[in-house]
Parts: sequence; C-alpha cells; structure tokens
Amino acid sequence: MIADTTHIKKVADAVQSWLQPDNNSLKQAIDRTVDEKLFSFHDIKHQILHLKNSLTEENLKKWVEHSGAPLPFSSDKTVLCLHAGNLPLVGLQDLLAVTLTGLNYRGKLSRKDPWLLPTLIQTLDEQGVPGERNYSTKLQDFRDQQSDAVIFAGSEESVTEVIHSLQNYGIADENTPRLMRTAHYSIAYITDHSERTMKDLTEAVFRYGGTGCRSVGIVVAPFSLNSQKCHFTDYVESFWLKNPQHNNPENDLFYRYATNKAVGIEQAWLDNFLIEETDKRPEDRFILHWIKGDEKTLLDIVNKYSNGLQSVYTSSGILPQSLFDRTEFEIDELWKAQKPDIWWKPDGVDTIEWLSKRFNSFGKAS
Amino acid sequence: MSSNIEHKILDSSVSFNSRALSVFNFQRTNNPIYRTFCEVFGIKENLHSEQDISHIPLIPIRVFKERAIKSFQGAPDVIFQSSGTSNMERSEHHLKSADLYRTVIEKEFYRYFPKDKTTVLCYTPGYAENSHSSLIWMLNHLIEQDPTGLSRFLPLGKPLKKDLFLELDNEHRNVILFGAAFGLMDLIDLHSDSLPETVQIIETGGMKTHRRAITKSELRGSLSDGFKIPLKQIHSEYGMCELLSQSYAIGGEWFQPPEWVKIIIRDPKNPERSCPPGEEGKIGIIDLANLYSCSFILTDDRGVMNENGMFKVLGRWNDNDLRGCNFLVEQEVE
Repeated sequence: MIADTTHIKKVADAVQSWLQPDNNSLKQAIDRTVDEKLFSFHDIKHQILHLKNSLTEENLKKWVEHSGAPLPFSSDKTVLCLHAGNLPLVGLQDLLAVTLTGLNYRGKLSRKDPWLLPTLIQTLDEQGVPGERNYSTKLQDFRDQQSDAVIFAGSEESVTEVIHSLQNYGIADENTPRLMRTAHYSIAYITDHSERTMKDLTEAVFRYGGTGCRSVGIVVAPFSLNSQKCHFTDYVESFWLKNPQHNNPENDLFYRYATNKAVGIEQAWLDNFLIEETDKRPEDRFILHWIKGDEKTLLDIVNKYSNGLQSVYTSSGILPQSLFDRTEFEIDELWKAQKPDIWWKPDGVDTIEWLSKRFNSFGKAS
Repeated sequence: MSSNIEHKILDSSVSFNSRALSVFNFQRTNNPIYRTFCEVFGIKENLHSEQDISHIPLIPIRVFKERAIKSFQGAPDVIFQSSGTSNMERSEHHLKSADLYRTVIEKEFYRYFPKDKTTVLCYTPGYAENSHSSLIWMLNHLIEQDPTGLSRFLPLGKPLKKDLFLELDNEHRNVILFGAAFGLMDLIDLHSDSLPETVQIIETGGMKTHRRAITKSELRGSLSDGFKIPLKQIHSEYGMCELLSQSYAIGGEWFQPPEWVKIIIRDPKNPERSCPPGEEGKIGIIDLANLYSCSFILTDDRGVMNENGMFKVLGRWNDNDLRGCNFLVEQEVE
C-alpha cells in the first residue's frame, strides 16, 4: 500500500497555514517565549524560517516515502512524546511523525518550550487533520492514560527513572514500546578554511548556544586550532553580533580555561564559549573540541565516541569509504546542521519507520 | 627550604592558615602548572602570612590525568595510579618520597585504631590488579606494621568463615575488615558468616556496585544487616590517588579530616565561591601532605560540610549543564 497523499496534503496545508505571517497565535507564542527569556528571538526566527522552507507538501511526501511506511494507519493507538528540549520547537518532528502516521499524539511539552508547539497542534485540530492530540507540560495531567508507545530523548542512566515516573502515573510500563534517543553531539570534518566552510561551521557550532544533538561538539580538521584561531573567531564574533548568545556559561567555564592554560592545552577563550584542542567526548555545554587530523583521525574519533554521536558533517555530505557502511549515525552536509531535512533521523532512526514497524507488528496498520 | 617546610606541615602548634600559606608559596614557586593556574586568577606573587587562604584557587583534580603534577625536580620515588578500565584516563600522583605518605597514613589511622592492638584484614577486589594503587600501598604498609603477622589481604571470591576470626580472637586483637564497598557487598552475597561482634569494618567507598549505585546510608545498612554487626562499628575512609591524606568517618557518615587537611565545599557553577555549611557542592581539599605535588585540589565529588568542619561525601557531582536534550528528561518527568 502506498501513502495516502490526501492525508499528507492535509497535514502540509495545516503546517503552511500555521507558518503564515498573519498567524497571531504563533506570533503571540513567539513573543511570550521571548518575553519569558526561554529562547532568543533570533533562534526562534531561524527555526521558523527554516521550517517554512522545509515543511512543504513535497518534503512531507518524501519523508513518508523515505520511511517506506504505508500511511496512515487507521489506529486508535496513542504515542506519548516526552519533549525535553533546549532549542525551540524541538518536539515538532515527533508531532508530525505521529500525525502523518494517523496515530494519536500525547505530548508532554518541555517546560522550557511550552508556548510554540501548542499553536501548531491547535492549527492541526482546527483544520481537521485526523488523529487525537492532547498536550501538557505536566506529566501528571496524563495520569492513568495508558500510552501504546513512548518517544523520548534520554540516557541509559535516565531510563529507570523515566519508566518509574511513567509507571507511577499509570501512563506506561517497562513493556511499553519505547524509542529512546541518546545522541547529544555531532562531528564536523572540514578540509579547508574557506569563508563558506567557516561560516557553516560557525552556524553548526554556535546556533542555539551549542546545545542539541545536531550541534557540532567536535571538529576534525587537517590544521591546528592555533593556525586558524583568529580567522575562525572573526566569523564567530560576526555570528554573535547578529545572533547574541541567549544563555551564557557560569564561572566554571573560566575555571576550565585556567586549567587548560595551566597544563598547556591549546585553546581559544571566547568569554561565553571555549574552543580547546582536546580529544575528549563532548559532554559539557559551551565547549568545542578541536582535533587536528585526517580521515583516519575522523574514523578513530567516530569509533571512540560513537556512543552519543548524532551526525558527521562534511562540506559535501560525503564521507570516506571507511565510514560509508555506518548506520548508527547520519552523514550530512555541514550547512544542514541547523537546517535539517524533515526526514533527518535522530539517533539514526526514522521515527515514522519506527512507528510503522511497531504498529504493523500489532497488526494495527490499515 | 623543602625539609623545613616538610616538618612544618604536620606541626599542629603552627596555625593551619600559616602552614597553608607556606605550602602555597612553596608550590607556586616550584610547580609551574599550579603557578600558571594561579596567574590566570591574578595571583602572580607569593602570599603574605596575614592573607586569607580562602582565596587560594583550587585546581581541578583532572590535572592529575593530564600532566605530572610535581613541586620537585628529578625522578619520583613512587608513582601512584588511579584504578580504571583500559579505556579510562588514569590519574598519576608522583611522590618525591614515600616517607611523607607513610607518616600521614600512620598518624591518622592509628589515631582511631591503636597500632599495638589492631589487625587489618583487607578485601580489595578491583584494586588488586592495579600494582600502582595508593590504597593497596597503604594497606600493605598497615599490614607490615602489625608485628603479629596476622594482618593480611584476604583471598578474593571466598566467603568469610567464622574460623578465620578464632585465632585473632585468641590473640585479643582489634580486628578491622578493610575493604572496597562493592567488594564487601560481594562478600555478603557469597554467604559469608556473621562477623564476631567485636569486628569493625572500614569501607573505602566505591558505592557503584555491579548492580546499581547505592547511597552511603543504604550501604551502611546493608553491611550492618549482612555481617550482623552494629552500625557504630562501620566506618568509612575517604582517600584517593591524588591525595596523600585520608579522612575517616567513625561509626557514621560524617568524615573528620586530619589536622593538616581542610575541607572547603565549592560552588560547582562558580568554584571561586565557598559554600556555607549545609549547602551541597564540590568537595575542595587543602591537603598539606600533598606538599610535593599540589595541595589545593577541587575534586569532582559531591559533598556537604557541617559547622564543625566535618563533611559528608554524597557521590559524584552530576553536572546538570550537559549538552543535549537527553540530559534534561529527568527534570521533565519530575
């Protein structure tokens, strides 16, 4: 069975309607988000403009085709999406995936992003897009409403606590199918320091204050940080002039700078960000690790830090032969780091495909 | 200079502040890494005797993984290495001389457990494979100090049986079972016999068992139940490769640092700020016995102090400011 294009068109129309400049609900949600200092206006604007360009009917069709799923299901199943985000509209892809599959959406919205996504949900409802949708920023509002699947970003360590909370509220149990994402950083492999590359790299690293799994935490380059420090920081300063960093680090980052200096680690101190020439797993915010090396170095780094890796970016979106057959992370063009296709795969898993397989196995797909 | 200061650091007739300032000036002069670290914070000269030591910057403990932290020239007498898997970065502690380490081990341990009456039975899986372990070195030293020859390492993977303690009982020895926390739990799982009521336990931390992380309080309860001895006979030791001094918590969870050690809880977001008693933070330590490496250390352990300068260890500090959405989910489901 092939995808129902009427359903996709309905979703696409609703999304485009939501993105219209005269959508007062969205405008108010943006204002409120900015007023409450949840995200910067520049970051929201970046996200909205990108969605405007990418959420076309054609692209939604492509996504459904990519996933190979027969859609929509005529199903009464409900998917709980736990959105824990540190960038605006982080749960949007999951909302659309659930909606395109025809399943019911139950969204535990991020407390950090409570205003933006509801305006899209409202539009989907108003335009009669099939599927039930409800949402809240409080998990307890879903008490005793059993879900048929759960999607969330977490770590292996957090699973027990998350499942425990869901069990306590009677929302899900340990047997409920779950799609958990653990990726929290990406790698950029650059081979030149042209204006295009440096601008793309700056956007990939510094957009949203460097947070989010698509943001670059490691750069592998054939030249040292020291040789490009001034050149690169010029681009960063220019970026910050247009996109002031919304959240700034605490004094512990300065402590890290002092420690690096003491032990002789090459670094660039940018007041609100630290670039250091170290081979370490990216865990902390506001830090970019720069590693001098070639394709072999990249391969070593990918193998060493594959746990938590979302994407590897290059200027061309093509990787050396040795990395071609990897499926646990995505390979993408550097400029797309913060402008992903709607079908990008968090943790290498297509959400529509996952939902399709999951619910097909229950014999619920139409 | 160095031999003078070596005598001074353990001299309790001199104020701690004065000794710490002497050590700071010694290390600022002789340790280029620590000197550079201090310079970033604007300290470019020696401090004077009346200055407050609370402004001395504490260097993050990870420097022991990055470089050899030495305040002396020449080859070290001993190098200690932290335990860990082959993929982990390990800390190294270069000792100019093991004599100072011997002195502080004995001074603090025998303060609580008299030298002429104490026998130590050691159970240290996980450390035994590390030939550079400072803990194993310390236990070996304590074993050597027991003239009866009864102190020893226990065989790994075998339950404790009552007859082990019969001979010790006949000799009227105070028996200490000294072990890694998870190892002691394993002994219980191996169906060890109940311990004689006079035996005391010292656990050295490492609360993350093969099964799950447990709190100090849970650990103490489990050891008490499992070995059938009262809680007041279960003690804890706080020490690590990067520190030459040990602190002991006797019969409870509050550690008393040695007289030559000062604990300062620091705000993890702003490590220049000291936390008042009761506020949790990262455990900072001024250990004067670290004379020939660095005495001013900021650990990655979570802790809290009380009004009397005693402290509790609450596990590792988990940074909430990590990148990625996946570290936020726990806050969202609270």
